[in-house]
This record gives sequence, structure tokens and C-alpha cells, in this order.
Amino acid sequence: MRLPPGVRDWLPQEFAYKREIEEIIRRVFRTWSYAEVLTPSFESEEALERGLGEKLMQQTFRFTDPLGASLALRTEMTTPIARLVSARLRNATLPLRLSYVATGFRYEEPQLGRMREFTQAGAELIGAPGVDAEAEALFMAMETLDAAGLRDARFDINNAAIVDGVLEAAGLHGENLLRCKHLIADRNIVALREFERSHRVSQFATIRELTMMRGREDVIAIVRPLCKTPQSLAALDRLEQILDRARELGWRERINIDFALLRDLAYYTGFVFEGYIADLGFSLCGGGRYDGLLPRFGYDVPAVGWMVGVERILLALERRDVDERPRNEVDVLVSGSDTVAAAERAKGLKVRLDVLDLSREELLAYARHKLIPRVLIARGGEVEEIAP
Amino acid sequence: MSDRLTIAVPKGALYEETARRLRAAGIAVPKDVGRRLTVTSDDGAAELLLLRPTDVPAYVEFGAADCGIVGKDVLWETDRSVSEVADLGFGACRLVVAARRADGYHEGARYPTFLRVATKFKRSAQTYFSERDLPCEIIGLHGSVELSPLVGLSDVIVDLVATGKTLREHDMVVVDEIGASTARLVVNPVRFRAKYAALRELIERLENAGV
Repeated sequence: MRLPPGVRDWLPQEFAYKREIEEIIRRVFRTWSYAEVLTPSFESEEALERGLGEKLMQQTFRFTDPLGASLALRTEMTTPIARLVSARLRNATLPLRLSYVATGFRYEEPQLGRMREFTQAGAELIGAPGVDAEAEALFMAMETLDAAGLRDARFDINNAAIVDGVLEAAGLHGENLLRCKHLIADRNIVALREFERSHRVSQFATIRELTMMRGREDVIAIVRPLCKTPQSLAALDRLEQILDRARELGWRERINIDFALLRDLAYYTGFVFEGYIADLGFSLCGGGRYDGLLPRFGYDVPAVGWMVGVERILLALERRDVDERPRNEVDVLVSGSDTVAAAERAKGLKVRLDVLDLSREELLAYARHKLIPRVLIARGGEVEEIAP
Repeated sequence: MSDRLTIAVPKGALYEETARRLRAAGIAVPKDVGRRLTVTSDDGAAELLLLRPTDVPAYVEFGAADCGIVGKDVLWETDRSVSEVADLGFGACRLVVAARRADGYHEGARYPTFLRVATKFKRSAQTYFSERDLPCEIIGLHGSVELSPLVGLSDVIVDLVATGKTLREHDMVVVDEIGASTARLVVNPVRFRAKYAALRELIERLENAGV
């Protein structure tokens, strides 16, 4: 029996490793006092569509139940959580801090780091409009990758309002502005040049420069004079504040501003960030402010969220020379007594009970093979402990 | 340069000029690469992957290469998220719809109601005819596409033309131009950040290398 494309099995050892990473992530989430939630794998197509951009809509697995209701598998967790919050947690005191570790499903060309079923861990901070919430999302993501063992991860930050402000100052609006934003997000300099020629926009060279720019306070200083709207100026101030706060944590060198970082344009309304390591060609985590999402579910509150791809972390770690000690899966092998096994389990040990009625020699051979450090053999009321 | 770069280089028509430009940009591409798949520049500053042109976008998207040089025609055909940071200007050609002169499509004769299109550029062809609401069958071929209308396999072809010589030789004419292609420098979006200084320097040098 073959599996369909884009999904995979997890065999015991690799699954243990995956669970370990998920536990590390959960621990970080708990220390930031986020409460874990879970939504169903599928729900009504209509509810999921409310939050999704065009790309994710095309990648949604859809089906009907026997009564003809249109259903869809979740492609990510933020939309279901927005639905959950607007429907079930409307009376909860804001801000709300919710986290998840859950699978998502997308119909895409299966490739490295991009499967049709994948696990995302993420956190949503709902009901806080300010820079504090944005800093919390970023710093929490940084701590998470650190905890997972990726201390060399770098983070790029931006605020979508900055590009808006610069483009508006250049005289672009509506559809032209959006088209231009897409080109900036793709960092498509060639198409930006063509756009410039066909639309006769003045001072477009600075927009191309902005697209290629990367730095810290230096680039804020360069871009400030180009920003004419109060929103874009405020956005620059916020980025500056985040850099200042990162410095106190000793993280300033790991953060850069990339004005072309816009992520999903339909989703993010302000602050955005992405985390990556140099040896992988795709990002590990990302997020930002999406104040427009909850209002689509009739609950007018701002929100910041971020997520990390669990499989992507595994891929990143796989490429490292991490100490691949054989894992001690079993602490003790017990033969012939339920009570002895129960007592060992009560100590919190991983206990394996012999169910094949093995002889003493066979038990020892098995323990050696499986690297089990202790064997307890109960025969006629006596318990013999052996180190194999 | 601060970081060592891995550059995807297309073999075939674009290779010679690509190597020349890289040399002009300060990357010492060896004279004779023979049949090797990877070469290190003589100064050790860059690793070159010698690839089929159509494979360049995939290597760059996954980050197996930090950046690459590839014709726009290849980018039309592949849906890869890579950043197109510079038009290097060389390798100019046009992707066109062409047909037998005798069919008169270039002079306004109507296409058959169901058009058969032979091409190596299936995606671009499909997009072009879909956008014009022309029902068609795309016949994917791998070479000598201009033969297909002559033997009745297709009504028109979608193919690249540089000088138009091949078309003339087969008594075919351009019906419409789909797009103009040149060599592009593409960059992996994450590597752009991870190797920012080295890549910006390479982009600038390659842009100036053509002048």
C-alpha cells in the first residue's frame, strides 16, 4: 500500500524526535503563559475561507459530507482560532494568549520543507494593538528557535505601513500600489523597472533601493525622509523600539530590517517578521500583526501571531552535527511479574514487560541489543536484577 | 567577498556569455570546465553548479544555490519563488506564436475553433491562449517544434525565436509575440538575507559587467 503524495509516516525514532521538539516548543509557550487550544481538522468551508488569502484558497482540500455540506481541511491555525475566539471567547478578558501545535493541510507540489500535511506550532496574542505585543511575538519566536537548538537563527522584521507610505508618497494608489507591493515582496527588480517605465512614476529608483535595502538604525534613517504618512512614520518608530528592546536582550545583532518583507499581503496589516538559518533556503518561522482578521468574524479586536514549521526545525537540525546518541528507549526490562513492572513504572521509568516468555539468556541478549541498562527477572517470588 | 557563494549556471546557449560576465564581475571561472557538474572558481570565491537551464530555478528556490542565471523564458515555465533581481540583457529572444505562412494567421485569418498548439513552453502557451479565451490543445514536444505544423501535428507552434532564421527556412511566420526574454539573475529569498553583503556585491558587479 502506497501513501498519496505529500504525506508521510513517522517511524518510532523519528517520531520521538519530533515529539521532543514539540515538547520543547510547548515548554516555551507555557513559560510565556500561553494556553494551548485545538480546533477540528476540518470545518465548514465558509468559515475557513473568511480568513484565507487567494493562494491558500487554491491550496485548500475541500470535500462534502454525505448530507452535502461543504467542508474543508484547515490550511493553518490562525483562521480557525480567529473563528474560535470570535464565537466562544468573546467574553474573555483581553488580551488573550493562545497557542497551538497542530497539523495543517495544503494541496501543493510536495517538496523539501513543503508537505501536504505538516505540523505548525504557533502563538496568537489577541487584543493588544501596540508595539509590546509585536515585540512579544518576535522575542518568543527567538526563544523558541533557541530552545530548539537553533541559536544561529536570524530574524528580519518590517512593517507593511512603511512600504505603503513610501509608495503613496510616490503617487501610487489602489490597484497600482498593490501591484507594486507584490513586486516588492517578490523582490522582482526587473518587473519594478518595467513598472516604472510604463507608469512614469517619479523617484522610483528609491523604491528599488528600498526593496534591496537591509540593515538596522542606518536604514531607518535613510527611509524616514521618504515616509510622508503618519502611519509609516509611526511604523518606523515601532521598528526602532523593537531594535532597542532587542539590544537589551543581547539580540540586536540577530535582527535586521528588510523593507521588502511583507509576507501574505492579504493577511498582515503592520508588523511582520521571519526567522531563518543560513543553511536552509526557506524560512523557519514567521508572523506579524493581522488586525483585519478577527473583524471578518465580527469581533473587532487587533491581533499578533506567529508560527514555526515543526518539520522545518527537524530539517534544520538534521543538517547539524547534533550528537546522535542512540536514545535509551527503555530503562528496564521486566520478566514474570506485573507488580515488579508496576513498581518500576511508578518510579517514572520506561518499563518493558516481556510478553514472549523469553528465557534468561534471551532476555539478556534482547536487553543488550536494545541497550536496556537493567533487567529484572521474577521467578518463584524472587526478583533477580541483572545488568546485561 | 564575505561569504562564499554558490551560483547556478546554465549550460548551453547562455553558458559562454554567463561565464564571461562572471569573470568580468571578478569570479574567476575556469576556462575549461569539460563535463564537470560543479566547479570552484580559481580564486575559491564561488562554487558554480553547471545545470540544465530549466533546472536553475529549482536549485535556487531550494537554496541548493544562492543565486543563478537563467533565461526569462525558463522562469515563465516554472512556478518557483525566486527573486528576479537583475536583467542581464544578454541571450535576447522572443517567445512567439508562429504558423505556416500559407495559413495566413499572421494576416488575420481566423484560428480553427479548436486550436492545436505544439510547444516546449506548455505553461506559457496555455496561459496565452486561455487569456484570449481560445480553446486549444497543447501538444508538449521536446525539440524541432517547427516540424509539427508542416506534417499536420499542430496548427500553430509556440517557440523561442532569436533571429527568425529557422522560421523562414520552414516558410513560417510570427503570428504574435508572447514575450521578450533575456538572461536574468535570480536569488533565493532567504539567502538574499543570509548572504546579503556578498549577494548585493555580486548583483552590482554583474549589472556593471554588461556595460
